Amino acid sequence: MSGSNHLSRRDFMKVTTGVIGGIITVVIGAPVIDYLVDPALRAGAKEAWIPIGKLDSIPIDKPTPFAFTRTQVNGWERTGTSFGGFIIRRSADPKDILILSSRCTHLGCSVNWHADANEFICPCHDAKFSKEGKVLDGPPPKPLNQYTDFKVDGDGNLLIFFKEG
Amino acid sequence: MKSTHKFGMNNETKEKIKKRYDQILTRGERFWPDSIFKDAVMALAIFLVLVLLASFVGVPVEPKADPSDTSYIPRPEWYFLFLFKFLALYGQIPLLGKIEWLATVIIPTIAILLLVVMPFIDHKSERHYSKRVLPISIMGILVVSMVTLTLMSDVPTGPTLVGALQTIGGLVIPSLAYILLLFVFKNMSNKTMIWTAGITAALMIGFCGAVLALYQAPPSTTETVATTVVEQIQAGQQLYSVNCVECHGDDGKTTTIKGVKGLEGKQIFAINSKDVLNTLDDPALEGVIAYGRPDAGMNPFGKAYNAQGLSKSEMGYIVVFMRYMWDDRFEKPTLKPLYPPLAAGEIPSYEAQIKPIVDRYCVSCHRPQKVNRSYLMDTYDHILKSGDDAPNVTAGDMNSILMQLIQGQRAVVSGDGIDAMPPNGKLPADVVDVFKRWVAAGMPNTAADAKALPTAVPTAKP
Amino acid sequence: MHSIGMWQKLRTAYTTVYQWLDERLGLGEMYTNLLDRPEPLGNWWNTLGSASLFLFILQAATGIFLTVYYTPSPDHAYDSINYIMTGVAFGWLVRGIHHWGATLMVLVVFIHMLRVFVTASYKYPRELTWLVGVGLLLLTLGMGFTGYLLPWNQKAYWATTVATQIAGSMPFVGDFILKALRGGPDLSALTLQRFFAAHIWILPAVLIALIGIHLYLIIKHGESHFPTKED
Repeated sequence: MSGSNHLSRRDFMKVTTGVIGGIITVVIGAPVIDYLVDPALRAGAKEAWIPIGKLDSIPIDKPTPFAFTRTQVNGWERTGTSFGGFIIRRSADPKDILILSSRCTHLGCSVNWHADANEFICPCHDAKFSKEGKVLDGPPPKPLNQYTDFKVDGDGNLLIFFKEG
Repeated sequence: MKSTHKFGMNNETKEKIKKRYDQILTRGERFWPDSIFKDAVMALAIFLVLVLLASFVGVPVEPKADPSDTSYIPRPEWYFLFLFKFLALYGQIPLLGKIEWLATVIIPTIAILLLVVMPFIDHKSERHYSKRVLPISIMGILVVSMVTLTLMSDVPTGPTLVGALQTIGGLVIPSLAYILLLFVFKNMSNKTMIWTAGITAALMIGFCGAVLALYQAPPSTTETVATTVVEQIQAGQQLYSVNCVECHGDDGKTTTIKGVKGLEGKQIFAINSKDVLNTLDDPALEGVIAYGRPDAGMNPFGKAYNAQGLSKSEMGYIVVFMRYMWDDRFEKPTLKPLYPPLAAGEIPSYEAQIKPIVDRYCVSCHRPQKVNRSYLMDTYDHILKSGDDAPNVTAGDMNSILMQLIQGQRAVVSGDGIDAMPPNGKLPADVVDVFKRWVAAGMPNTAADAKALPTAVPTAKP
Repeated sequence: MHSIGMWQKLRTAYTTVYQWLDERLGLGEMYTNLLDRPEPLGNWWNTLGSASLFLFILQAATGIFLTVYYTPSPDHAYDSINYIMTGVAFGWLVRGIHHWGATLMVLVVFIHMLRVFVTASYKYPRELTWLVGVGLLLLTLGMGFTGYLLPWNQKAYWATTVATQIAGSMPFVGDFILKALRGGPDLSALTLQRFFAAHIWILPAVLIALIGIHLYLIIKHGESHFPTKED
């Protein structure tokens, strides 16, 4: 250092070149980071009330399967994803309903209802769930998921509240 | 080692060049930071220009590629336009113009070869401009012709005044100049060459200017391009209203066609049903629109059969509209209402409310060349005055033909068996109410007309 | 005073690391040979070459980022670009820079060529630099030509149809060249795919190699000076 605060011409050019390089990198770099991670930032939590059938047609005390499809828009592609589960009417009371997802909590296979054994059995690893969805046997860490929000509309249709993700 | 170089430069000259360069370097600068600093400033300027262009000009939107649309006039990217124009002008030359590959292959190849061998043709050690007037003149004329050809690229060639001016300015003058410079003035003074090149360039620019001044570009008919989902749904809705409502109804649930010539009483699928929407994917739906369903009476709408038909993009918008409006697996985004909502007692106008309503529900049949008792609903005047039974609607008359029909009452006219409009479904109550208020208030055209009317007009009772 | 002690420690650490790297990489040599070179007094016309290089790097970067979302298939190319423009954060910026960068690159490379021509910088000992430069100009145009088809819109489709037809007008081999360019008699998915391959792999690979040679030759012979009456 020469001791003066005065920048020499050469130092000025070196610093300015560095600053210009920095500006260009930041102006293009920062938006590009957002550009690259954009799909991860998009909260895809979509909600909808899905009709799954007339309440009257669902027998009491017998797990009845239902299924519905939701279309997911991923960028420029639209994919249909299927969801399914079982409705168990414990009594004639339209509030006394248990709606279970058929997705096994172990690795996501679809469980089936076996009326003779009175259990849900997952075909992948022979996990067993009770009629209420509790784990009886096998590797699943949690009971079957429930659709806790449901309602019956004026026409007697049973609707469940569906939230993506 | 005193051999003379093949390209006419001996070792002595080479030594001289090296010595001179070393001498220049002693008076020079350093690559870092002197040169790099300038480079960085230039890079920053370019970068800023690019960011500004991307932000404020953007990339022009174009409709999707449609191989069946043979009416499209192709244009290359701008930096090939001069070649494109050169080919067009070259094709005008009698006889020679028919040998296409001379212009498409031989001339560009020669141009590239000339660039490649440049250091070997022009191999003398002289570098200053004053000693290289001939090559610089030729290159100058070439650059001016590239620029003028690019500028004139939109103007059609042909046996017109504008066509002739283009051929003279773009082809004849530069060719003459090359011949003069290369063969006639070859050993002339620099002054002669500079004057020749200058006059040539001035003439070319003059002719180009004349062509651009004389030519009147036809109004461009660009297809609108919808990019976001909402825009696409709205574009699809509009196309559906014109092209499809006639048979399928405004909501797609029609199963029996009514009031369409040749298809009266035909049973069709409700296209808003799961049977259709869940079993046909997007390409299949687009295919049905493009190629029709001859067995079910549906006409093809694509450009393969009809140059005025729908483009690939447009059929895509209709499918997006059908999906988002009717397919319950899709979440409908919030769309603009059909017409600007009215406050209590507010008077609707044709411009603001009636036109979007009519476009959605009526125009599909009530346009030229359709069965509609000559009643057209495409403009304000037509709605008021056209038709075999004109007038169909009168200010203040709540019992006019139009008012009866849209309320599903039997009309005064008979003969076509239609006693309600639209023939395949009812108008929503709010829409009928808008019509009532409009007719009762005196059918104002513009929103300003509606404002000028006294607002205290009571809503007419049906 | 404590902070000064810290500062000195950092300096020593920096010197140690620098020396370790310098012994192995030859950083000092690189500095004298590549950066601290003497040059003729330059002017702004001399920046066109580096501006072309800058644009190439910018095009390469934005091009790589575009491939994150772009799909080279007739079914999805148009929609994926529409998604980049409307669906992805700053997609409009990345594509906008790539689109306008292509235009500017053609312009800058061409003006750079004109400048070299006017100052006769292609003469001894820089003939090879010029030859490689002609190759770079043609490759830049090739990048423009292949990139133009990728958005798969009307303009792109029909322009490429006509351009490949022009190549097909060549006597004897025209039909072969047309089919080789299009990957068949018609413009199809194969055309899009091979233009994509050419645009992102083949042409850039050749371009990078030629840029390397071009730069080596510039460093070897030094930048040419603006001619005066003595030249």
